[in-house]
Amino acid sequence: MKTSGTAKWQRSMFIASFTLPTLIFFCTFTIYPVIKALYYSFFDWSGMSDHMDFIGLQNFKDMLHDPIVWQALGNDYFLVAGKIVGIMLLATFFAVALTRFGFKLSGFFRSIYFIPNVISVVVIGVLWNFIYNPQIGFLNAFLSLFTKEPVTITWLGFTSHTIWMLLPPSIWAGIGFYMILLVAAIQNVPDSLYEAADLEGANQWHQFCHITLPLVWEQMKVSIINIMMTTLNGSFVIVWIMTEGGPDNTTQVMGSYLYQMAFRQYHFGFGAAIGMLIMISSLITTVVMQRLLHRETVEMS
Amino acid sequence: MNFGLRNPVAKTIFYAILVVWGLAVLYPLAWTALDALKDNAQFMGNAPWSLPNLPLLWSNFSYVWDRYNFDSYFVNSLVITAGSTVLGLLLSASTAYVLARYPFRGSGALYLFYIASMMVPFVLALIPLFFLMNSLHLINTTLGMILVYASSVLAFGVFVLVGFFKSLPKELEESAVIDGASYYGTFFRIMLPLSQPGLVTVAIINVLNIWNEYVVGTVLINDPRHYTLPVEIGVMQAEMQYRTEWGPLFAALLITIVPVLVVYILFQRKIASGITAGAVK
Repeated sequence: MKTSGTAKWQRSMFIASFTLPTLIFFCTFTIYPVIKALYYSFFDWSGMSDHMDFIGLQNFKDMLHDPIVWQALGNDYFLVAGKIVGIMLLATFFAVALTRFGFKLSGFFRSIYFIPNVISVVVIGVLWNFIYNPQIGFLNAFLSLFTKEPVTITWLGFTSHTIWMLLPPSIWAGIGFYMILLVAAIQNVPDSLYEAADLEGANQWHQFCHITLPLVWEQMKVSIINIMMTTLNGSFVIVWIMTEGGPDNTTQVMGSYLYQMAFRQYHFGFGAAIGMLIMISSLITTVVMQRLLHRETVEMS
Repeated sequence: MNFGLRNPVAKTIFYAILVVWGLAVLYPLAWTALDALKDNAQFMGNAPWSLPNLPLLWSNFSYVWDRYNFDSYFVNSLVITAGSTVLGLLLSASTAYVLARYPFRGSGALYLFYIASMMVPFVLALIPLFFLMNSLHLINTTLGMILVYASSVLAFGVFVLVGFFKSLPKELEESAVIDGASYYGTFFRIMLPLSQPGLVTVAIINVLNIWNEYVVGTVLINDPRHYTLPVEIGVMQAEMQYRTEWGPLFAALLITIVPVLVVYILFQRKIASGITAGAVK
């Protein structure tokens, strides 16, 4: 009786010693700040002093009346939509082409397509800044090959629609990751299905529509939702490096506006409120997308 | 047996698209490498795709390395990446092992807690994190960066490693217990060596993410002596408006890219299996 008590005690001690340090660590450096952000969002606070004014929902009310917040929200969803369309079309095409079309060098293409995903977003932003650079950039120099006068378009300085310019780098940087996921999903489809289709004379397009698409739909759904989440949470970096939200706040996204309000203009409470907005919109969009993308799942037998 | 595409026209067009995209991916890298060897006159006078003039301007590299202090940024990045990867791995492996092998009351909830946390946007935590680290006197410290990064990769590690530990055979563990090994002995002497492939996969993905991280770095470091490479790249880029040193900037980009490219080339398969395991939620 006593031994089993000790054994139980030993087991509990072992479990505690292996889970508690991690949990405490994680709660300190990740969970606590998240909860604290919720708390800060109810205060007017410059961050400079200990003085914090509790103002209830005023930050959220101010947010609704701030045109830049709406602009940022619109830009975020523009990037979400553009990236979902661009990345999913290209990544799906590449994944199918590199698994089903029997091309030589498929493995090589797969390897190099992933390269942008291992490079820091900061580096990608700087590189694309040089592609767009009005004086020494690649794009203007390339266009000048076809014109009499040298082209000097300031690609990142349009009074509106500059946000469109941020779409190509975001898509360029994102494709490899989702291609790898879709390649893995396609490789999980039993070969016998494709063999049967080949015997019946179904062409690649039919095979894609009737075998690949239904069977990898789950993975595509995950990918689409993942693009949405990473864009709402992380499009900030590319924006910050390439335009700092300018010109005139027209390329501001929620993340960059949060950063600017908090760390440049010292409205920490307002910044925290924007953080809440990011989380809430990301949660709502996830739920909505789960509904929209729901399709009868096909069980692989 | 895969018959592939039958229509030769379609096959050619599709192949051309693949090649074009391959160029679109590789060209900016080649461009970075070439531009790192140019001086300002060549940037202004020649087309962006022109080859650098001879003699090549290798001094751009020594310039950023010495004058821009890239030697210390490189070391900072290296130490922070190594430290937080090891700490993150240790903390996630221990929890993952218990969650996979020793279910207890609440273990399912604990697992869900880690998984759900991956849905929370990290920018949300940015402001409180700054003040937390400030009050702990961990702003502008290597230790502070290591702690925050280790915490930020924990949930992913737990998620992948729980799956990995579950896939390992139980027999070895059971025989170790019969031989009288303690829980700790079993974990450190039997399970850890066995789970090396899973640990390496998680470690590599974490190394890439931490080496490339920018936002947390900018918020938690404002003393140039403690910059990491991405943070300094961001600063350099901002300074370019009034300080046109394009050659050195490209040299700096290359110094930042090459280590991750080497890691990628060496561990390609591991990375692919890691992201596939991490995304099938």
